[in-house]
Amino acid sequence: MSLTKHLKIIAAGLSLTASGAMFAQFGAPTPDAMPFPMEFETSRDHYDYLLDHYKGGVQHDYLSVPKWEGLWSTGGNTGGNRPFVADGEIIEGVLTPEYEAAFKYRRDLGDQAFNAGVDYDRLTTCEPAGMPRWLLEPYVREFLNTPTYSLWHNDLANDTRRIYINQEHINIDGTHFATGDSIGFWAVDDELGDVLVVHTEDIYPADFFRGTPPTSNQAESVEIYYEYWDEENDQKRIGVNVYWYDDLALLEPLSLVYTYRPRPDMEAAGLRIRYWECAQNQNTYLTFDEEGRPNTQYRLPGDPGYLDPRGTPSTRNPDLPADLIGQDKSPVFDDQFDFAF
Amino acid sequence: MKISIKKLSMFIIAVLTFGVVDFASGHHSFAMFDRAREEVTSGEVVRWAFNSPHVALYIRDAAGDIYAYEGAAPASLVTRSEPMNGFSFQPGDSVDLVVCPLHDGRNGGAIGIIIKEDVWYMPNDGGCGPNLESWQDWMTKGYMSKQEAIDAGEEIEM
Repeated sequence: MSLTKHLKIIAAGLSLTASGAMFAQFGAPTPDAMPFPMEFETSRDHYDYLLDHYKGGVQHDYLSVPKWEGLWSTGGNTGGNRPFVADGEIIEGVLTPEYEAAFKYRRDLGDQAFNAGVDYDRLTTCEPAGMPRWLLEPYVREFLNTPTYSLWHNDLANDTRRIYINQEHINIDGTHFATGDSIGFWAVDDELGDVLVVHTEDIYPADFFRGTPPTSNQAESVEIYYEYWDEENDQKRIGVNVYWYDDLALLEPLSLVYTYRPRPDMEAAGLRIRYWECAQNQNTYLTFDEEGRPNTQYRLPGDPGYLDPRGTPSTRNPDLPADLIGQDKSPVFDDQFDFAF
Repeated sequence: MKISIKKLSMFIIAVLTFGVVDFASGHHSFAMFDRAREEVTSGEVVRWAFNSPHVALYIRDAAGDIYAYEGAAPASLVTRSEPMNGFSFQPGDSVDLVVCPLHDGRNGGAIGIIIKEDVWYMPNDGGCGPNLESWQDWMTKGYMSKQEAIDAGEEIEM
């Protein structure tokens, strides 16, 4: 390794340590974003830099791997439209010209719609949020860590990320994916304690959230997950600093922060994550006007195509007799409609 | 009469500008619901579908017609001020509702408020955002819609 490289790493290491000190203010619900330790050509360079910085990381076993069980919801963050919009106007110089124009197009389209700003959401068609929106979906999620991989499940559309620990990227599918392909390593940071560094690539073009700029199929990310203590609420939280790279959409990579708060109140209420059937969303569907602008419509019982989320939808088991006893999905109540769908 | 359109605008701008996300968010656009209208209706529960991604309440009105109203995500209802689960509204229950109807006039819309046995539930998301305190007052005065309240000179709090 060249001296120049050594010096760069030393300087970058100091930067990282200094950025870590910013997190000493653990009482704040939303930690400050970490600066970039240096300019990287690619997200993979950034990840490899961190792997060097943490000397290859640590190999946890089942006893030592950080436990983040339970239900969690999204907390404070710097995501959404914050990097892109101020005082209702698009911030210039963040997005590339093509993606800034696309964002304006999306916002203009929304302004023409009934609902004052958002007339389309890919979830209408039951697509999962995917990355990076996965980071911000507000409902309920689980973080399960093992020594060899982590399973992080967002209930919305059964959107599970799998982080393969101390492994390399694999893509035998020849395509991209909603949540991409993620690898990572655990390490111990002097300031943050246990951290999980994640690299994600092969991500579908998506969004930061509904009504935000789109991301491109070149987007990749480096994430640093850590625990911190929220003194204000006297609870442990999970924070993540996300470095978002997207050569087609962004002029410069972004550094964003997302946090997650535990939800023992939901657990106490009996909430358990169930399979997300998308039943109601199948009754919400896209329409297009004469100019091809998307809008949303809602099927009612009796409408063509209506799917009954509780009874015996016609699309389920079409290979069985329609009057077969015991095929209602929800026999808890006698709440069948007295007309057929 | 003071209509706090400014507050509404600030809320919308906050959502659009700052990406404010909470359990009022939905899984899809609300374009089909007329969120400017809030109307009172009532009926008998036919079904309460506590299903992902959105709950749905089906009622039969006095004329025997069925109406379908959509609410928020089930996960978001279990910790509301009046918590709800899949057993909260059962077939045959009498309910009063504040709803935001569909723009196209069909028998459905977004749920704002469900009143059952004098308990006020708020299973709504961004599809319908009635002000609970206002409606608790307006119901006693017999208003059947937000427009009636406006016409009567009521202060509109967002």
